[in-house]
Amino acid sequence: MNAIIALSLSGIASLFLGFSTNRKNLLITTLLFVLVALGLNLADWNHEYFWFNNMLKTDNLSINFSSVILLSTALVVAISRSFGDDEEHTHPAEYYAIMLFAAAGALMMVTYENMIMLFVGLEILSVSMYILTGSDKRNLRSNEAALKYFLMGAFATGILLFGVALVYGATGSFNIHGIGEVVSRTKKGMELFEGGVILYAGIILIFIGLLFKVSAAPFHFWTPDVYEGAPTIFTTFMSTVVKTAGVAAMYRLLSISFPAVYGLWGNPLVWITCLTLIVGNITAVYQQSFKRMLAYSSISHAGYLLITILAKTPNTNGSILFYSLAYSIATISAFAVLMIVSENKPKDGKPDESFEALNGLSVNNPFLAFVLTVSMLSLAGIPLTAGFFGKFFIFTDAFSNVSPLFKNILVVAILMSAVGVYYYFKPIIAVYMKKGEIAEIQLPLIYKITLIITTALTIILGIAPDLVKNMF
Amino acid sequence: MQQLPDVIRQIPLNNYVWFSAALFCIGIIGVLTRRNAIIIFMSIELMLNAVNLLLAAFSSYKADPAGQVFVFFIMAVAAAEVAVGLAIIVMIYRNIQSIDVGILNKLKW
Amino acid sequence: MMPILSILIFLPLIFALVIAVLPQHYTTYFKWITLGVTGVELVLCSYLYFSFDKTALSYQFQEQLDWITLPLGALGVGSIDYLLGIDGISLPMVLLAGIVMFVGAISSFEIKDKQRGYFGLYLLLTGSVIGCFVALDMFLFYLFFEFMLLPMYFLIGIWGGPRKEYASIKFFIYTLVGSLFILLVMIGLYLSVIDPVETAVQMGLIMDKSQVTPELITQIQQLLAEGKILPEQLVHTFDLRFMADAANFVGDSWLHKAAEVAMGDFSIRAIAFLLLIAGFAIKLPAIPVHTWLPDAHVEAPTPVSVVLAGILLKIGGYGFLRIAYPIFPEQATHYASLIACIGAVSIVYGAYNALAMKDLKKMIAYSSVSHMGFVMLGVASITSQGVNGAVYQMFSHGILSAMLFLLVGVLYSRTHDRQIDSYQGLASKMPVYTGFVALTFFASLGLPAFSGFIGEFFTLAGAFNTPLLPKWITVLGAFGIVLGAGYFLWTLQRMFFGNFWSKYELSLLPDLNVREKIMLFPLAILAIAFGIFPQLLLDVTNETVSQFLTLFV
Repeated sequence: MNAIIALSLSGIASLFLGFSTNRKNLLITTLLFVLVALGLNLADWNHEYFWFNNMLKTDNLSINFSSVILLSTALVVAISRSFGDDEEHTHPAEYYAIMLFAAAGALMMVTYENMIMLFVGLEILSVSMYILTGSDKRNLRSNEAALKYFLMGAFATGILLFGVALVYGATGSFNIHGIGEVVSRTKKGMELFEGGVILYAGIILIFIGLLFKVSAAPFHFWTPDVYEGAPTIFTTFMSTVVKTAGVAAMYRLLSISFPAVYGLWGNPLVWITCLTLIVGNITAVYQQSFKRMLAYSSISHAGYLLITILAKTPNTNGSILFYSLAYSIATISAFAVLMIVSENKPKDGKPDESFEALNGLSVNNPFLAFVLTVSMLSLAGIPLTAGFFGKFFIFTDAFSNVSPLFKNILVVAILMSAVGVYYYFKPIIAVYMKKGEIAEIQLPLIYKITLIITTALTIILGIAPDLVKNMF
Repeated sequence: MQQLPDVIRQIPLNNYVWFSAALFCIGIIGVLTRRNAIIIFMSIELMLNAVNLLLAAFSSYKADPAGQVFVFFIMAVAAAEVAVGLAIIVMIYRNIQSIDVGILNKLKW
Repeated sequence: MMPILSILIFLPLIFALVIAVLPQHYTTYFKWITLGVTGVELVLCSYLYFSFDKTALSYQFQEQLDWITLPLGALGVGSIDYLLGIDGISLPMVLLAGIVMFVGAISSFEIKDKQRGYFGLYLLLTGSVIGCFVALDMFLFYLFFEFMLLPMYFLIGIWGGPRKEYASIKFFIYTLVGSLFILLVMIGLYLSVIDPVETAVQMGLIMDKSQVTPELITQIQQLLAEGKILPEQLVHTFDLRFMADAANFVGDSWLHKAAEVAMGDFSIRAIAFLLLIAGFAIKLPAIPVHTWLPDAHVEAPTPVSVVLAGILLKIGGYGFLRIAYPIFPEQATHYASLIACIGAVSIVYGAYNALAMKDLKKMIAYSSVSHMGFVMLGVASITSQGVNGAVYQMFSHGILSAMLFLLVGVLYSRTHDRQIDSYQGLASKMPVYTGFVALTFFASLGLPAFSGFIGEFFTLAGAFNTPLLPKWITVLGAFGIVLGAGYFLWTLQRMFFGNFWSKYELSLLPDLNVREKIMLFPLAILAIAFGIFPQLLLDVTNETVSQFLTLFV
């Protein structure tokens, strides 16, 4: 599709732009590139196209996912003002270029029609993220995060690939629709190499590989470390773009290729979802670092997204998209505030990312305090924010599925939503109720605009969700 | 001269599957038990090679070139991954003069 | 016609925004703006009271706008409406909200720091509380119900006492768990209930909603019962009026009366009903989920306590009457003794705790638990007396608890000490204050000629007369009145009678000032007026309650 080509070309272009001495323009140019890609992406609306010999397929669903991804990318680029301010980031153009490449990989993950493209897209995204995670070269935490991410990511890819190979052996195809057809014809107890065991083993391995990527428990253990160690701006990218792409890829595969064997992946996924919700939420309660708390919160949101994948109702498309969008904009707001506040008050020469760093933010920076509050409320799912409707749609989906398994999930999800409130309110407590002094922080214009956009979007979607939901 | 696919087909498919499954498992065990980053990395490569072997075998048994094309993709992408991975390991070595993953415990829950 | 209910909701919200954006040097006007807005609200509420048609059976002052429409694929269409209206049960609550918010605004004059935030949040709270009482769409109700937690959370958390963080987050999490229960049931209902009018439009039987006739609705319901409507054409709704009619439930849905889905020994409808009861009981609060209330009250500043006890607790009782009971009448009859038992235990347990409290505010908080127990008891009886009495008790407790907390606030603002044993013989030095305290205490303990008596009498009478409840429950509840008399009179004796003694200088303890008198005097008049002329309120509620009771035969 054109957006992928545009992103790849503009990535190369922005590498060349690195030669120019004026770094201020880089941000604007990159933003422009992303927005152009967004426009190209939307141009295919209401058409179904196959690209590159059936390698990719764009339909409205994939365009919507791509739009969420590109929108998140644009917002992340917009708050990336600190590149080039310090010695570590002397080559800002490279970071922008890698982010553009990563976005291209993410788009491939949501539009793939062939397993090859899933793999290539996943790797483009992952390899870019390994680099970005380790971009703070002298910081040992960043190094460690990069290594962990790399080893875990490559490991997960290996598992995924073995699964793909087995599924290929059983079905003779890499095309997801082709696989779907064979799978729906396959019955249990078939001869070993004609399907049967090989196919099921393959599906399970693919499934595990993807669960690693969306950081669902029990495959989540790398997530908090990587999220905490990576520079905040890239953590933002990871927890929005990478997560959306991962969930979308998983949804695409499970809903197109493997709906016929729902029993095979559905039952384990119920338990994985419950576990993800429990682990993500309960562990988040104990965190002292805001950034790490957000990492666990991203695990728990992966759990909510898995509920809709499981529910398999006709509304699932809209629910996943709405939830990803709501989650992404709220997360970007939260990370943006965290980034700007923690840089403002370094502790031991490093940005202070604990909750204490936020103490008394509301005194001199009411705007930042408000932005943070709205984003936390949205993540917690309080009404009149986008997050509430996200949860509402997900629960509705879970309810419309009459499978008795959903009783467990609903109970867990409800309890965990209540737990979520506790830790999402920690930053709010710090901001409004704890005593502390934070001098007034001067926000660059583009930062302010981004925060206004994310906050306004969160509230507007909380009042009129049908604006977006009915589009999907 | 025999065609290469015919040579491949002289061994039953079963054996390829078991062999690559064994390789894959060795790789996984390596990743989970070793502490040296390079060795872990090699184990991952072993997993990828198991995949390649399996794909090639399936491809020739099904007389479908797509599997072999996939192998090329895996090789190319794995090469890129190696480049980045080794760079990360070198970066860490410069900072702490070691590549033992046990030392890396700054980030703990 | 003027959209008076919308004005009631949005006027405070708009002024909350105004306060948020006004420049800093207008700070001194914030309290006057708040007072003015709540004053206008009070006037509008009184207007509602006087122009309310006491004989009409349907909802009055209705307003309806389409808000959110969601295609649900194979399940049809979902619609969420902006639907407002009041009947005899919500009118007293709206009136109460008007009164208490106004008095609370006067009391808020003592707030000195961060006034912009305080008054903005106070107005936000006002709007959402009233919205909760006038919403007829369950989604809208839920939205206000949960949104109101936020301003309340901040009001306790920022302007509260030393343990404010703990108290505010405890309050928030308790009530949030309750509202999540309600959310679950709400979604279940939403997927089960259809809007016959919209469905007719969707089926092409009529062109728009204005052409609807009762026969058509019956026809649609007939078709629905026979399963002849295509799933795609069903319009699912949150409209409480339709939810209360069993004919609007989709045949094979979760919550249809004949639904066979069950979890263990409970039918799914029983679970849904109990979840709703649990959700509202947390808000009420009833034993054993009441523990957030004393903490919240002790830490909250006086006006926030007034609002919390005066109105927020009533939403729990109101939820019983508006949502849980009409939608699940057969469950309500089935679980009557359980609910009554919780109510009676709340009465006695709350009273016992109140007896033991050394902190005056905590004592009053527990007395609230005790008094709200009567509401549960009355509602559970499902008799005309019981339900009328429950509404009456809510209204009366709203006024009396507001007074009680204001009176505690008077003492607290002077010495910052609420311990009962720090004072003795205040009567001789603060006669006017003592007079108000005595009056309020007597009214609260249920002396005839005060409003508290009517509520308690009717609820107990209703509980006695119903065949649903065993008699011992009512006897237990009645025993609570004795305990109530005990702790109120004992406190009166310890603090106000005898020789004056206090840990504090006499100069610190002046009698009531003009502002405090202005707050307390009208409330005292109301407490007496509603005690002598109960028909002021019973006339309003009676028709609605008798119609409400027809659901249970």
